Amino acid sequence: MPGELKAPGKPEEKNTVTRRDFFNEIAGGALTIAGLGAAVVTVKYASPNVLFEPPTTFRAGSPDDYPVNSVTYLQDQQVYLVRTDKGMWALSAVCTHLGCITQWKPESDQIACPCHGSKFQRTGNVQAGPAPRPLPHFSLVLSEDGALVVDKLEVVKDTEILKV
Amino acid sequence: MSEKNTVEVGISSDALKQPRRVVFITRKTSAKVKGEVGPQLMSFPHVVLRETIAFQILAIVLVVLALFWDAPLEQLANPLLTPNPAKAPWYFLGLQELLHYFPPLVAGVLLPTLVVLGLVVIPYFDVNIEGEPLWAHRSTRRLQVYVGVFAALFVLLALYDAWTVLVPTVLVGALGVVPYFNTTGNSRFQKFLGSRPLPWWVMTWFIAVALTLTAVGTFFRGPGWSWVWPWS
Amino acid sequence: MATTDWTHLRLEHLRQTRVWRSIFRRGPARTNRTRSLAVFGNLGLHMMPVKVREKSLSVRATYYLGSISFFLFAVLTITGVLLMFYYHPAVPDAYRDMKDLIYAVSNGVFLRNLHRLAAQAMVLAVFWHMFHVFYRGGYKPPHEFNWVVGVGLLMVTLFLSYTGYLLPWDQLAFWAITVGTNIISYVPVLGRPIRFLLLGGHIIGQNALLRFYVLHCVILPLGAVGLIALHFWRIQKDGGLTVRDDHE
Repeated sequence: MPGELKAPGKPEEKNTVTRRDFFNEIAGGALTIAGLGAAVVTVKYASPNVLFEPPTTFRAGSPDDYPVNSVTYLQDQQVYLVRTDKGMWALSAVCTHLGCITQWKPESDQIACPCHGSKFQRTGNVQAGPAPRPLPHFSLVLSEDGALVVDKLEVVKDTEILKV
Repeated sequence: MSEKNTVEVGISSDALKQPRRVVFITRKTSAKVKGEVGPQLMSFPHVVLRETIAFQILAIVLVVLALFWDAPLEQLANPLLTPNPAKAPWYFLGLQELLHYFPPLVAGVLLPTLVVLGLVVIPYFDVNIEGEPLWAHRSTRRLQVYVGVFAALFVLLALYDAWTVLVPTVLVGALGVVPYFNTTGNSRFQKFLGSRPLPWWVMTWFIAVALTLTAVGTFFRGPGWSWVWPWS
Repeated sequence: MATTDWTHLRLEHLRQTRVWRSIFRRGPARTNRTRSLAVFGNLGLHMMPVKVREKSLSVRATYYLGSISFFLFAVLTITGVLLMFYYHPAVPDAYRDMKDLIYAVSNGVFLRNLHRLAAQAMVLAVFWHMFHVFYRGGYKPPHEFNWVVGVGLLMVTLFLSYTGYLLPWDQLAFWAITVGTNIISYVPVLGRPIRFLLLGGHIIGQNALLRFYVLHCVILPLGAVGLIALHFWRIQKDGGLTVRDDHE
């Protein structure tokens, strides 16, 4: 009859879950878990645990090897070792824009990137170009035997200067 | 709607008295573009033969070109020495040029993602099946929206100094609004412009920008991504 | 002429043999039924429709761009497989093998030129094909999903070209891929992990070359074949190619 509201839903009201629904849900859940598990395991497989890359922590001689107010490029590690009268720090030579290797230009007192023209000061700060961030400083410490040790996986604040 | 609805149940053979359901159209069926069918041919041999010929022509062209045009090979990869300039393959040079103006997150991730998403959703938009021209009704409201969007785009691009994108945008944008004001011209070109629907204009703008970006990235960019004239 | 009659008779005789009929089931394609079977009953061709509209066959209708894209893919597969005979995906073998192919291997330079040329041509053809399909409205219902499949194929093509670009292991390859993978690391949250998985490490080295090789020769071609099959299948099922009304 028009005007009479009929309650929607199955004739047998309440939450009657049939055995079929139950087994379907269990099966679906199991397959989902299996699928997710397979995906996670595959991604873990594809993520190498051992890398055959050059070590990221290295020794860089002693502070006496670096004259005061100099910028020295370590080619094998792509790191600049900068020494001023206040101390030393290690700068990444990889441009923060898109990963090209920068070059130290003593004539203009700048670190320049050939790819898109970014220019950095010896502190790592961006002077010109599209680089979004300053060149990161790597951890630089003195070992017991007086050698400089750089750790490229540890980025430190640019105010941290090793006093030598 | 209040007359008596007497429904007689029964099957009669008179279609006028008892219309029978022949087709059931669901509410959400999309309109299908069914072109005029026209004469048909058997795929074998007509299609197979033409495709074979097309493949042979292609093979000849490729082989002749490959005999004379050598693929480049530069020096051994040197992770310590970046060549200047370091350019991507030509189909990504447009992107690299865009990277010159916008930060990498925008030009490298956001914009390409938006472009791909835009391409994917094209057929699902309110499809203009009849291909109604952009200015069919000469609506002032539409003109306002058009000018508004154009102005916003202009300001954004000018803000970032992205003139490589700005120039084709201005060109296509200006061309797009010509049919609105042009009531007297009757040349084939003007008629053609006047009949183009909105999706056509958007795609043409996209292609114009992409071509300009790629051309600039290929020929006009030198060391440090600085501007060079290709003939210098 | 007598000789051609004799050849003709011999061929007919051959066609009646049990061996022949066990391989070729339908007989010569001289009736519409056998012409249909030539397509419908053929493993390679049955994704094509049995009949097509005459209008869609003219060059100006499609410029055969889709077919050209497919043929280029076939050329790339054949030349690529042949190149695999000499190429070792390792550092520094890869570069040495490129030199080997260009200067020492018979027809090596030709094969390599053909492969690279077809690759550039395929990217161009695929883009052009997409724009042409757009301009003739081939994305409108009921062809919407096929358009999406096409966009997927565009992505696969670009990625195939990109992975192949690294394989010569020269300066051009190395730095183009450096820039590209660094862009990937800008993707929020997932950028760096994706870059790590793609390169198999932090740097572009041995692992990266091998992974790009596997992507380029196995994973992406399989994906492409699957999508191409789907793409052709949808055209057949959705009623054939779209031709603009104002053409012819």
